[in-house]
Amino acid sequence: MAAADDDDGIGSLRAILLAPEQRQLEELQVRLDDRDRRAHDIGEVLPLVLREHAHDPQLARALTPPLEEAITASVKRNPKPLADALFPVMGPAIRKAVSASLASMVESFNRTLEQAFSRRSIRWRLEAMRTGKSFAEVVMLKTLLYRVEQAFLIDRRSGLLLQHVQAGSGVVQDADMVSGMLTAIRDFVQDSFKVSETDSLEALKVGELSVWIEPGPQAIVAAVIRGSAPRDFRPTLQDAVETIHLQFGDLLERFEGDASTLEPARPTLEACLQQQYRAEERKPRTTAAWAFAVVVALVLSAWTGLAWRSQARDQRYLDALRAEPGLTVVSSERRGGKLVVTGLRDPLAKDPLAVATAAGIDAAGIDGRWTAYQALEPSLVLARATRILQPPAGVTLSLADGVLSFTGAAPGAWIAEARRTAPLIAGVSAFDPLLAMIAIIESPSLLFHKGTPILVPGQDAEVQRLAETLRDFDARAAAAGQRFAIEIVGHTDAEGPDETNLPLSKARADAVRDAIAPKPFTNVTITTNGVGSREPAVGPRDSPSSLGAGQNEADNQRNRRVTLRVSRLTGGPR
Amino acid sequence: MIQKKICMLGGFAVGKTSLVARYVSSIFSDKYLSTVGVKIDKKQLNVDGKDVTMMLWDIYGQDDFQTVQPSQLRGMSGYLLVVDGTRRATLETARQLQAKATEAVGPVPFILLLNKLDLAAQWEIDEPAFFKLVEDGWRVVRTSAKTGEGVEEAFELLARAMLR
Repeated sequence: MAAADDDDGIGSLRAILLAPEQRQLEELQVRLDDRDRRAHDIGEVLPLVLREHAHDPQLARALTPPLEEAITASVKRNPKPLADALFPVMGPAIRKAVSASLASMVESFNRTLEQAFSRRSIRWRLEAMRTGKSFAEVVMLKTLLYRVEQAFLIDRRSGLLLQHVQAGSGVVQDADMVSGMLTAIRDFVQDSFKVSETDSLEALKVGELSVWIEPGPQAIVAAVIRGSAPRDFRPTLQDAVETIHLQFGDLLERFEGDASTLEPARPTLEACLQQQYRAEERKPRTTAAWAFAVVVALVLSAWTGLAWRSQARDQRYLDALRAEPGLTVVSSERRGGKLVVTGLRDPLAKDPLAVATAAGIDAAGIDGRWTAYQALEPSLVLARATRILQPPAGVTLSLADGVLSFTGAAPGAWIAEARRTAPLIAGVSAFDPLLAMIAIIESPSLLFHKGTPILVPGQDAEVQRLAETLRDFDARAAAAGQRFAIEIVGHTDAEGPDETNLPLSKARADAVRDAIAPKPFTNVTITTNGVGSREPAVGPRDSPSSLGAGQNEADNQRNRRVTLRVSRLTGGPR
Repeated sequence: MIQKKICMLGGFAVGKTSLVARYVSSIFSDKYLSTVGVKIDKKQLNVDGKDVTMMLWDIYGQDDFQTVQPSQLRGMSGYLLVVDGTRRATLETARQLQAKATEAVGPVPFILLLNKLDLAAQWEIDEPAFFKLVEDGWRVVRTSAKTGEGVEEAFELLARAMLR
């Protein structure tokens, strides 16, 4: 009983003495048990914690996985909010990336150009040839400051290779064995020199290569470096080791030989594959590119110009060929630097190479492939006939509508031979010894003074020649046994009425007949006729004139004339 | 692909290196053995449908002046204990090495190789000694690095034991 009293007494005493603390404890207990309250409390300090530890890499790494998870989940549920949020960032980022990659392209282009054209590069090429290395390799060795070529992630205990990454596609020794050997060497050094557990081999160096080793509790990162890496590359390795241990600590500890579980550590290792080239003396980098562009442009325009000139020259030649009778171009093309022209050529046509020379074109650049043929162009038919018929001196051949004829005095034997041979000549349908004379007889217009049947002075020679031709013609017609009628037609200008013009025109025709055929011919009958102004040489014009009926005096003079018409009465081809 | 570290342990001149040379083609020169004390080779094999890469650590022979470093044994999944059948003393060395290995990495699978089978006539390790080992629960394979007899089987046996 006394004990119970005592207990009561102590209890009361405790209640009296510790009541406030007791209450505080109870309140704290309630606060801790109440999840909402606790959440509220942590919420109050969380921003402070995050702010204070913002630069703590541990916090960043710890936060990364849940954040990644959250973002992934958010994108899976509805990508739009994230896309909207990122939109203002993406555009500039993409632009930056594009311009950066363009810049690096220009940079490497420049580097290539500079190296392609510089004296130094020739030296390097020689060195490459001498040493049997590739040019790229020599350039790399000469300009490289350092390059991390391989990175190993090695299990610290067994020396087994966990992951291996390498820069480029160089051939590497079996990474598994290198990994083991590295570990063995590391152990060897540590055992041999009896250093403390925390000290270990940091680097190996052999010639151009060095191996930097960064140990972690479970795994080691080793980097194979060509050249000399700066001291500040060490933190990169340390960072990689820390990151890998933080992310894959469990896996490393439980490693039983299956390295594929550590595949996700590769990006971290790849981040160690850094490189740096020697800084070049900073001359304006764009010069080479610009110079190259200008050279390219010049070459291009020169080439285009030359091509255009050569094309124009070819065209000029082809045009000249086409204009030449007896030459027919079938096709043309440029082949092997030469203009190859295929076509037909009459043996009597001009030499195509002479045509080229005449057009100022070098015949050496032309390859003509000509097939012989007989051209029907009148000039060539005439040339062919001349060649075959061999007309005597003073005789000139003429051709009209395929009918061959001639002027000049020719012996009867030659005429007979020509009559027989001419139709056999390609392009000649017949031989008519009179045809050429008919053309001569019909060609002139004898002109008269106004209102009179008197010839305009200065036509005596013409009249004389006409008279002789007619006599010749009559003789040749007689020899050929043919008969002709020649009608001499008189004309007037349009002035005056028919009553005066018709007799005037008839009087003009008669005057000409008296002048050219004072005596009758044997095989040629001469008649005269007057048509007044009905068959003018020059018709009325649209423009009005002070000289009447839309005519001017020059036209009128040409209309005051006499013409001759020859018609065959019997025999002959016409 | 499973990787395993395997050590070749045994006294001086018992034929470890020759056994490895018989089994794999190497990229490293043997001179590493006398300098670093270790030479590493690789053998890929398929055991019961599983690809296994064995990294073979050939450790420089044990004699009075050379002791196996625990660091070299670290992380191994099994080992081959090599004895020269013509020299009884090498069996004693093997027993010491086995104890050392167990101390370093715990009880991992191992195979005892009685090597130099081609010189069987000169063997000092007789049938009773052999059966004594088997009674102790040791797996024993008689091999000849010279003729290749038993070599493949020994490595495969170890691989199978490690994967079990």
